[in-house]
Amino acid sequence: MKEMRFEYKISLAYLLIGGLWILFSDQILFYFTADSTLLTTFQTYKGWFYVLSTALLFYIFLKKHLSKLRSTELELEKHKNHLEELVLDKTRSLDAAISKLSTINEELQEKSTLIEQQNSELQRALQELKETQGQLLHADKMASLGIMTAGIAHEINNPLNYISGGITGLESYLSKEELDNEKIILFIDSIKTGIIRVGSIVSGLNQMSRNVETYDEKCDIHSIIENCLLILNSQIKNRIEIVKNYSELAPVTNGNVGQLYQAFSNILLNACQAIENRGTLTISTELYENNILVKVTDSGCGIPEENLSKITDPFFTTKEPGMGTGLGLSIAYNLIQAHNGKLSFESEVNKGTIVTVQLPVIPQQL
Amino acid sequence: MKPKILYVDDEPINLMLFEANLDRKYEVLTAVNGKKGLEIVASHPDIKVVFSDMKMPYMNGIDFIKEATKILKGSLFYILTGFEITGEIQDSLDSGLIRKYYGKPFNLHEISNEIEAVLCEL
Repeated sequence: MKEMRFEYKISLAYLLIGGLWILFSDQILFYFTADSTLLTTFQTYKGWFYVLSTALLFYIFLKKHLSKLRSTELELEKHKNHLEELVLDKTRSLDAAISKLSTINEELQEKSTLIEQQNSELQRALQELKETQGQLLHADKMASLGIMTAGIAHEINNPLNYISGGITGLESYLSKEELDNEKIILFIDSIKTGIIRVGSIVSGLNQMSRNVETYDEKCDIHSIIENCLLILNSQIKNRIEIVKNYSELAPVTNGNVGQLYQAFSNILLNACQAIENRGTLTISTELYENNILVKVTDSGCGIPEENLSKITDPFFTTKEPGMGTGLGLSIAYNLIQAHNGKLSFESEVNKGTIVTVQLPVIPQQL
Repeated sequence: MKPKILYVDDEPINLMLFEANLDRKYEVLTAVNGKKGLEIVASHPDIKVVFSDMKMPYMNGIDFIKEATKILKGSLFYILTGFEITGEIQDSLDSGLIRKYYGKPFNLHEISNEIEAVLCEL
């Protein structure tokens, strides 16, 4: 059963006691006495008694009720304090968790930077490995090529010497006979020209493939370029017009003749191969401060901008599989660098490419 | 009397042509290897100029010349080679063991002129 509210209870009790008192107090009084003076006195005491007893009752009821309220209030206060403490506690542990998280975050970030660093180191190592692999492959190729060309050169040079000696003998014999035949002179001259040309090709091949490790040879850049062109003649003949703008002084650099042959022949071969059908190859040399600038300009297909930074990467090639190893320019780049030089490229697709080689020259030249 | 010159080469055709081209001016002696060359040197100590191929059986041109200089004091020595210049040849040039080296195919006129010039010096 629902409990009655305190105000109803107290009003009801008051009504009940007051009503009963009014109804029955006089009758009780009349039961004890009939004297009117005494009755009047008792009436007064009865009033006082009623007031006092109701006040007492009020006091008891209110006190009981209020004490209940007060204890509830106290408990509430206690709860409130406890809640505050709880919240504080929770806040503190949350703060601790946050700071822990941020430490973990920092650590993670550190680890992430470390991983990034290691990653870039790995990439560098991979690049170096590729370069070394390319160099090894190239060195191996050049070593076997060197042995082979030296052998071939020796074997060609000897019979060439027979022809040379034979024609010299024939010439002096014919001159003694005074056979002043124009045609004989023409024949002899063409044989001699042939001997000189074969001789210079063999010598060029020999120089190109020689295996000297030192960098103290005097390298005549013009003659190296000329010899490279001679060897590349099959690529050039009837197809590419060669324009030469050489500096007046023949530039000489200290270095390794064989390596410079390889560098220039790779650069020139690439230029020739960039020209699909017919075109022009311009080679200019210019002395600038203590350097020689060699510019090789081709009218070929050009190099797209996105490839320009990659063309000296080992194994990078745009040629069909089997048509190129992608080592040529990478090797040229390394060899020019080994000579304290610089190799740079400018290109425009379908217009052509300019390769610039900068090499230090021996100062007394200037 | 014609001055004596010696040519050592393991290719007989080279020897034959050398001799045929120069025998009007000089007494040309030839040998097919260093050993034979040293035998000739021993029996002809008046040889003025010696030409030698580089790569030959038994001993190479420089080794032959080193031996030959022990007998031929004051003679001049040359290397004729089918290869490019090697470190060994360069050292011999630097030390004065040989006067010059010629690559094959060599120009016989050039060689003849050289002999003529150095014979005047001697």
